[in-house]
Amino acid sequence: MAVAVASEKKVRALGSERLREALVGYGFIALPMAFFLVFFIFPIGYAFYISRYDWEIFKGPFIGWDNYRELYHDSVFWRHAVRNTLVYTAFVVPLQMALGLSLAVVVNQAIRFRTFFRAAFYFPSLASSAAIVSIATYILASDGLLNSFLGNLGYHHTKAWFSQENTALPSIIGLNAWTTAGTMMLFYLASLQAIPTEVYEAAAIDGAGAWRTFRKITFPLLKPGHFFVAVVSVIGALQMFDQSFIVGGTSGGPNYSTMTVVLYLFNRAFSGTARFGYAATVGLVLFVFIFAVTLIQRLLFGKAEVA
Amino acid sequence: MRKRFAGPALLAVVVVVAAILSAGSQAMTDRGKGPERVAKSAVTTVSLNGWVGAKVEDDLLKEVIAAFERSHPNIKVNYDAFNNYQTTMLAKFSARKPPDVLYVVAEDFADWVRQGVLQPLDSYAKKSKFKSKPFYGGLLNSFKYKGKIYGYPKDWSSLAMEVNPALMGGQPVPKTWAQLRSVAQKIKVAGGKPICLQADWARLMAWVYQAGGNGQFKSANSAAFRTAANFYVGLLRDGLATLPTDVGASWCGEAFGKEKVAIAFEGNWMLGYLKDTFPNLRYSLAPMPKGKTRGNLAFTVSYSMAKDSKNKAAAWTLLSWLTGKTGMKKWTSLGFALPTRSDVKPVAGRGAFVKYPQFTHGWGNQVDFRHVWTEVANNELTAVVQGKESVNDMLSKIAAAAH
Repeated sequence: MAVAVASEKKVRALGSERLREALVGYGFIALPMAFFLVFFIFPIGYAFYISRYDWEIFKGPFIGWDNYRELYHDSVFWRHAVRNTLVYTAFVVPLQMALGLSLAVVVNQAIRFRTFFRAAFYFPSLASSAAIVSIATYILASDGLLNSFLGNLGYHHTKAWFSQENTALPSIIGLNAWTTAGTMMLFYLASLQAIPTEVYEAAAIDGAGAWRTFRKITFPLLKPGHFFVAVVSVIGALQMFDQSFIVGGTSGGPNYSTMTVVLYLFNRAFSGTARFGYAATVGLVLFVFIFAVTLIQRLLFGKAEVA
Repeated sequence: MRKRFAGPALLAVVVVVAAILSAGSQAMTDRGKGPERVAKSAVTTVSLNGWVGAKVEDDLLKEVIAAFERSHPNIKVNYDAFNNYQTTMLAKFSARKPPDVLYVVAEDFADWVRQGVLQPLDSYAKKSKFKSKPFYGGLLNSFKYKGKIYGYPKDWSSLAMEVNPALMGGQPVPKTWAQLRSVAQKIKVAGGKPICLQADWARLMAWVYQAGGNGQFKSANSAAFRTAANFYVGLLRDGLATLPTDVGASWCGEAFGKEKVAIAFEGNWMLGYLKDTFPNLRYSLAPMPKGKTRGNLAFTVSYSMAKDSKNKAAAWTLLSWLTGKTGMKKWTSLGFALPTRSDVKPVAGRGAFVKYPQFTHGWGNQVDFRHVWTEVANNELTAVVQGKESVNDMLSKIAAAAH
């Protein structure tokens, strides 16, 4: 009897302990969850709601899937905004990753002034993109630093890089690969330091050279890092807006060459007739696309993440 | 460990809940208090919104507002300026919490009034005997929609021809298109070109008017548009004119100041800029050259009233004072912009801008204007200037995009 009472007490104590633990857990996530619901989930749902209306500044009539149908046939969206965004992503992501990885490997070595280099390489990522693009506008001007440098090398380029249809987007690609490489370096540095040193010691004993060690050990063991960096940089690239906005204003010029999906979304909402419903449709299509791409990336890298 | 965190975590929950509850009750008490507060005090607060301008202009506007408040002790003006003006105003309209009085640039006007966010002012003007006669007709038309007035122009500028005599090589100041071309052929500018032109319809459209066109993007297929575009693009293609970006400038004002061009076509905004940035530059102003006829663009901004304004009577008092003779005189006294009323004289040296008001046409006031202008028309013009498209293809694409 006494034993039974004691165990019952224990159970009750355990129960209240678990309740307490649960409360504490919910307490911890309450604030972030509230933010997540209010600022992410609710706007996504509301954007979907708006996208089904002919919504200008104020709510208009319900039009079902008409906005989606119109977007499907919108040639500027597909031929310029989507195309430029995909081209931008296809170039900037590998560039960022390669640059980030190289920088990470370099500053992971026991070199002199290592901390200085880490900070220096990360620095461009801290500066505001608007400031960087504004400065780049001067460097890439027709009589700017780059053109006079190229001139000294005997290659005469006399046009402003942002003003020409064929050089505007590549200029932004180069610029962004440079500015974001620092962030990618930081991510890679973290995963580099997670690789156990024993593996390298074993490789050294087996007589593997530096390049071979990198190719056979470092690179494959960085797979979780690759996944994370790829996801982050693809999402960022698909959302490119500010550089285009500063270079060409709302025009996405010269001749649509810097028009991106998000700039197109912005324009439909805020330039000319304010079509909030149509802009929401563009936003949702972009959301679904980014979601799908991230899922595919997860499937491709999935196994490594477990390992 | 677990216990140490339990306190703060629970506190966080309490704070969130309390914040939500208090926000709700705050809103409710505000709603309850609203009318009461107005009734209690005789002073009405009118909100006035504009965009961020140069500091000197901002200071002048604050002086103008202070003068209004002195003569109207029962109205207090709450002035606010925004950087992303269009975006901010659209959000405010959409939330039905717009300012009482606001700037509207003619480029946004038709889209905003069509969506019902601006207040027609005719009945207010009639009641207070506010006359629209003194305003230049071309400017007032920029804020008329279907016969009603939705704003009075607060200031404006047209374009003029700026000439740098040191670079003209003794050539006379051209008065017609033909003279402009022949003079340009005789000028040599070291490291630049005789003329600066921008790949922007906010300049080219003046030439369309000079060719006898009507300035409506939907008429882009007409002969006047073709004549003007061919002449304008021809100057660039034949090396008589340059884009500012090709001589290391971001706009023609900068190219002119850096003496990379002898001739530019800009507005009143150029004068203050040149004085501040290139104080030693000597130049003269002349009217725009004449084509088939005279033609010029007027860039203008109105003071308008929001339809959802809660203080319309006081808002009208402010609006009509600002655009009236007294307010206008004060606001244009330093020459940052030109007065829109014929009964207020502009400061000295602005003759080239105001010489032919009957040939000056408002820029804007077309539906979906910003979209057609910046996205379609300017991108197509850039393609034409860079030799990637013909003038005719550009014009038919613009006509198709405008409705």
